[in-house]
Amino acid sequence: MKLEFTRIEGNSFEYRVMMIVFAAFAVAGALATWWVIEKGIWVTGMHNRVPWGFLIVMAIYYIGLSAGSLVISGLYGVFGKIEYKPFARIAVYVAMLFLIAGLLSIMTDQGRIDRFFVQPFVFFNLQSMFSINPMLYIGHILICILYLWALFYEKKKLTKVVATLAFGWAFCVHTGTGAIFGFGARLLYESPLLPASFVAAAMASGTALMILLIVTLFKVMDRYLDDELIFWLGRFLAITVIVVLYFLFVENAYRAYVVELRQAAVFYLFGGYHSLLFWFGLILVGLVIPLFILFNKKGGKSIRWIVLASCLVIFGVLCERYVIVIPGLIHPPELFPGMEITHSIVDEGISTYHISFLEVLQALGVMGVIGFMFGAGLKYMKLLPTEARIPKHPASADS
Amino acid sequence: MDRRDFIKVAGGTVLAGTSCTYAFRFLTSSSMSDAGVDSTLAKRKWGMVINLDKCKEDCTACLEACREENNVYHDEDDRWDINWIRKVKIEGKIGSATTEKTMILLCNHCDNPPCAQVCPVQATYKREDGIVIVDHHRCIGCRYCMIACPYNARFFNFKDEEHWINPDRPKRTHGVAESCHLCAHRLDAGKMPACVEACEKIGCGALSVGDFNDPESNVSKLIADNSVKRIREDLGTEPKVYYIGL
Repeated sequence: MKLEFTRIEGNSFEYRVMMIVFAAFAVAGALATWWVIEKGIWVTGMHNRVPWGFLIVMAIYYIGLSAGSLVISGLYGVFGKIEYKPFARIAVYVAMLFLIAGLLSIMTDQGRIDRFFVQPFVFFNLQSMFSINPMLYIGHILICILYLWALFYEKKKLTKVVATLAFGWAFCVHTGTGAIFGFGARLLYESPLLPASFVAAAMASGTALMILLIVTLFKVMDRYLDDELIFWLGRFLAITVIVVLYFLFVENAYRAYVVELRQAAVFYLFGGYHSLLFWFGLILVGLVIPLFILFNKKGGKSIRWIVLASCLVIFGVLCERYVIVIPGLIHPPELFPGMEITHSIVDEGISTYHISFLEVLQALGVMGVIGFMFGAGLKYMKLLPTEARIPKHPASADS
Repeated sequence: MDRRDFIKVAGGTVLAGTSCTYAFRFLTSSSMSDAGVDSTLAKRKWGMVINLDKCKEDCTACLEACREENNVYHDEDDRWDINWIRKVKIEGKIGSATTEKTMILLCNHCDNPPCAQVCPVQATYKREDGIVIVDHHRCIGCRYCMIACPYNARFFNFKDEEHWINPDRPKRTHGVAESCHLCAHRLDAGKMPACVEACEKIGCGALSVGDFNDPESNVSKLIADNSVKRIREDLGTEPKVYYIGL
């Protein structure tokens, strides 16, 4: 059976509306970014005690969402599950877009965007995670381009080699992104587990996004999709969710157990609205409820329920990214263990941070840019097959 | 391509890539050194000793001198206010007794500065004489140094300063990080940092700056003759600001 990949016509009313909405987001984001550049980052609400905000949250979230390609290329390119070949192109293209989104978010968060295009490449610092990561992202984007080329031109051997490379590289990308925080000096950052748990959460959100996209696109385009393919991805999603839960448990149990981290752990788990995001957004809505759905006899065999679980995981991992970045900054570094700072001219205690409208606009702008590119990709590239079904003779399917 | 050819090509590529990376790093790191600065820098190791017993509780002479000398931005809202040097009160308990101290906090000019380690563009670096400094023309404003500094000694220019007190010192636009540089420009000219000078002028003499490599220097003697402490020595950052009376 030979797969036939086709473009979409892109003439429908819905398609045009979608493209206009994405373009409007992009313009709004560009205007918000211009305003921030003009006035300074303080207009976003960030300050000296919380110097990173929602854009960094979104940057690592976007990078994590690109892991869908890691899963699909792992299944198809590395482990030879040929039934996932129909999704290889879209997975790689979407991964590339989310890596671009991550880079765009980091770029628009810089104090001096004008220097972002030159300095990091001329004066890179191999000791800095912030220097290594953009190189990993750019490398991954280039690998995705090569991977797409190999897939489009049906270069079988090259596809296998590049899929393996992309699989390994993606691990480095997600580990490196987690290491920005895990190797940091803050009480709630420093954890060798964080890079590994970042990979797990990335795979969960990436798989969930792929499920959501594949089901939606095949439905909208009225193409045949074998349910069994999604059921298997649903089971894989459940496993990644369990791994995320396990890492979260170990990480927080460690913090609560070690005396010097206990006060920070209490703050993290019960200390403010970020704790609500942790318990309700991440643990309950983002992980436990999806697990119940996916392990339920009916839920695990229902496309609708699996899509719902995927949406919840995508939301949950967004909360997870927030509670990685923000509480670690709000909680102050301990300058004098065993003593308390009772008076200072600057804020030395627990600080505050609220997401601002400008930051939301900037994040939506980035979504607009990649959404527009996604729409254009569907129209101008043969990203999806006319049907996706499990082949009866796997050997004949890889042609 | 057979397996042997593949190994040759792959090995060659890795070797070439690694060589290029190191060559590039060597070239760029040479541009980072203190070109144009006196080569005797390497012989010195600047640091500070703060005698808290001499520091007056309500005195702000060092803070004001620092702000005036270096055009440090002031904002009414303390979230965006920049304080290269600041005073805090700390309270602790020894048994049932409560102890209170007034502390002076500033950049510790660590020997292992985490801020320099994480800077993606090497804008923050340690000079050969131990002063940790920011190149404001290179800084991209990523703020990773602020995250990495365990002493909260790094600040960010969130806004443009409109009122520049000292026209001899450079202006900084919004969007770059900064911290105390121990008045490197004054030390290079043979003068004391503004805070030290101001402290001496009012007769306190709580702040002393000197060369730790010179056993006869004022700071070396102060360390030898007194019981001194550094903040969070356990972190391994090797701070070069010592406290007497902490």
